[in-house]
Amino acid sequence: MNPPVRKRPSKLAAVVFDLLNPVAFGLFAGALIFDVVYASNADILWMKAAAWMIAIGLIAAIAPRLINLVRVWRPLGGVGRPGDRAAFWLHLVGIVAAIVNAFVHSRDAYAVVPEGVWLSVATVALFVIGNVLVSLQPFAHQEHA
Amino acid sequence: MKPNPWTVLVPTVLAIALSACGERASVDPQKQAGGDPVLPAAQNFLVPPMQVPEGVGWQGDARPTVAAGLKIEKIADKLQHPRQLLTLPNGDVLVVESNGPGQEPVTTPKQLVAGLVKSRSGKGGKGGNRITLLRKDAASGKWVQHVFLERLHSPFGVQLIGDTLYVADTGRVMKYAYAAGATRITDPGRELADLPDTINHHWTKSLLASRDGKKLYVGVGSNSNITENGLAVEYRRAAVLEVDVATGASRVFASGLRNPTGLQWEPKTGKLWAIVNERDEIGADLVPDYMTAVQEGGFYGWPYSYYGQHVDHRVSPQRPDLVAKAIKPDYALASHVAPLGLWFYTGTNLPATYRGGAFIGEHGSWDRSPLSGYKVSYVRFVDGRPTGPIVPVVTGFASADEKSLFGAPVGLAQSADGALLIADDVGNAVWAVTGSGS
Repeated sequence: MNPPVRKRPSKLAAVVFDLLNPVAFGLFAGALIFDVVYASNADILWMKAAAWMIAIGLIAAIAPRLINLVRVWRPLGGVGRPGDRAAFWLHLVGIVAAIVNAFVHSRDAYAVVPEGVWLSVATVALFVIGNVLVSLQPFAHQEHA
Repeated sequence: MKPNPWTVLVPTVLAIALSACGERASVDPQKQAGGDPVLPAAQNFLVPPMQVPEGVGWQGDARPTVAAGLKIEKIADKLQHPRQLLTLPNGDVLVVESNGPGQEPVTTPKQLVAGLVKSRSGKGGKGGNRITLLRKDAASGKWVQHVFLERLHSPFGVQLIGDTLYVADTGRVMKYAYAAGATRITDPGRELADLPDTINHHWTKSLLASRDGKKLYVGVGSNSNITENGLAVEYRRAAVLEVDVATGASRVFASGLRNPTGLQWEPKTGKLWAIVNERDEIGADLVPDYMTAVQEGGFYGWPYSYYGQHVDHRVSPQRPDLVAKAIKPDYALASHVAPLGLWFYTGTNLPATYRGGAFIGEHGSWDRSPLSGYKVSYVRFVDGRPTGPIVPVVTGFASADEKSLFGAPVGLAQSADGALLIADDVGNAVWAVTGSGS
């Protein structure tokens, strides 16, 4: 048996998470706004911008979601908190909705409406609920967010 | 530790979502040929179907397969993406070697991916931006190549009126002095008329001179599949333009024709006919490409509807007023076959079966499983109207397993001795089909 090793939270992971996590959320929120604009005025630039935001948002989400996975299910110093676990699943479903939405946004012109709008609503709503749950928890929400 | 239901559920949902995408075609292409094609319901995809065989060219003496009573020979090879053909009065044959100008910007994530997949087929090969002249050597019977006209800009259509050669570059119609028997044009040329030149999603500009030599008809394709680049860039597109040869002035002759790639005069009635590439991504069996007589002032549906009043819901705003007056095309050629060549055969070299009707060069599908097109077909005409089924005449451009592409037919013409000529832009060759008894 190896002697127990005292692990410390990775500073790199903390930095990457804090930088990229809001970027992904911001891009999905921007895509939602642009989708609503496109649904109302059918000016193609908004839909194309939304398609890029969703695609880039998904790439930006990879690292923070993996860091979150480790933090929630392999926490240092005891058991992960219920709010973190709920937020993990909400974010995961939000990401799945965004992946499907990226494909919906590959359709031509107004074929993106209305599914694209609803999927953007779903992603942003799930992220918001997850983030609120984490924020309302007592203690150290920065570390587990 | 018991397995978490999410670890099963999430991948399952994803797998179902993605597999619901690229479905195989279910309608027999023959049922989508003729005046009244079967049109299944339109659907939207998560991932549109894509199947592109890999361009490998013709190995050794390999050649396309021809129907009974015909034979085929290669009359030119090592060309640079030959697209269109024109037989001159002295029997010389012009071969337009060209491909798209590559000016369409990548504006969506989808274009990044689609561009990579399509380039595998060899259809993305670099075009020569030139015209090569083929002349048959009387002694040997071999066709000799001469570089005829260079430094063109994605040319497609070419026509001769008197002693003036007209070439439709992607952005303008150019005119050049031509002397009978010349094997090279040194005239720098002059611009006769400008053509729609932004984006050039569909870049080919097909060209046909009127019988009296006073007008040129130009087929201008749309700037999108179905308005995904906005409606503003569709100005004077998806149309046949009529250019006055004397002044260069032009007007829209007919519209709503998504990509009219071949224009010809039907010999019996003298009417203008076009082959048109229809829209994609609403099904493996939608929408059939077609050929149709083109009426002056006629509107043929794109983008608002197809085959008359079948509304396309991907366009916003909708235009019920235009849908109401959309003309149903005359003859469907099956879905995604990509017709790029049209020729009404008037010779006597081929057997009687092939006289008086239309040959169609089907460049072949990129978004359908199984593949469709990749052949030259024939439709019989009676009294100036297409009649009966569409018959494959020259086949074998793609391998039987649909993985490799040897060639792809584009423009068609008729040689002085009545052979059917086929430009092949994947095999980089020109083929001549003759009666096996000739």
